[in-house]
Amino acid sequence: MSEVAKREENRAPTERRERRMDALLPPVDIYEEDNALHLIADMPGVQRDTLSIEVNDNVLSLEGEVALEVPEGLTSIYAEVRAQRFARRFTLSHEIDMDAIQASIDQGVVHLILPKKETHRPRRIDVKPA
Amino acid sequence: MFGDLRRFDPAWAPGGDWFRRFFDEMWPDPGAADIRSVPRGSFPMINVGRTDDAVRVYVFAPGLAAEELEVSLQDNVLTVSGRRGGGAEADTGERRTHFRRERAAGEFSRSVSLPEGLDPDRAEARFRNGVCEVVLPKREELKPRRIDIQAS
Repeated sequence: MSEVAKREENRAPTERRERRMDALLPPVDIYEEDNALHLIADMPGVQRDTLSIEVNDNVLSLEGEVALEVPEGLTSIYAEVRAQRFARRFTLSHEIDMDAIQASIDQGVVHLILPKKETHRPRRIDVKPA
Repeated sequence: MFGDLRRFDPAWAPGGDWFRRFFDEMWPDPGAADIRSVPRGSFPMINVGRTDDAVRVYVFAPGLAAEELEVSLQDNVLTVSGRRGGGAEADTGERRTHFRRERAAGEFSRSVSLPEGLDPDRAEARFRNGVCEVVLPKREELKPRRIDIQAS
């Protein structure tokens, strides 16, 4: 009896950890255009209010809860999306202007614009005639 | 000359599912696979669930508008097809430096087999937040029925 109880105790933290680990990695496109980095992530089922984007200590974290309206009593027969959330993190370089990051979400696609700081933009150098 | 260096294989890109794929290839699943099964991570991902009166299919197709996704049911095989991206992105491609390209683009088509006995005439599909939910009601005669037990 006591052994059973002990095992139950042991299992609880691992379950919690698994749930935290159990996130899907959203596929992303990253490209540079117009002095900004653009990040596009596929997060189907994520809404504006279940999406959280944070920048902490140069780490950009993108998390979103998959909010599906599932009727009660639904049994899964086949599942490819087995997690309830998406999560992915990126380290940012110092040339990104953290305060000017913009984000939008449309039809489950997140678009982040990470502008470069003014001081890091390319400058054209005029060549004077001799 | 350096074409090989630039060749891009998204399946093995870091952050992708290459680790799982590596193990799948090293130790292939000896069991029988469904005839329409695809490697994990194929676009769009599909979930299928069942309730007492209907089968619900969730197609995870982010970035697609409702009219861009075609859903058809023949016998008990559901096919979703469409096209994503490409056009506008290709035009401005010159000015862009790409660092990652993991998102699927272009034409796609996937089929899944569903349980028998669905009524395609009463099927409904709804698109929300990049997820298309297809509700396929079961035929009346296949719904679970309560049988009254009569006292003798």
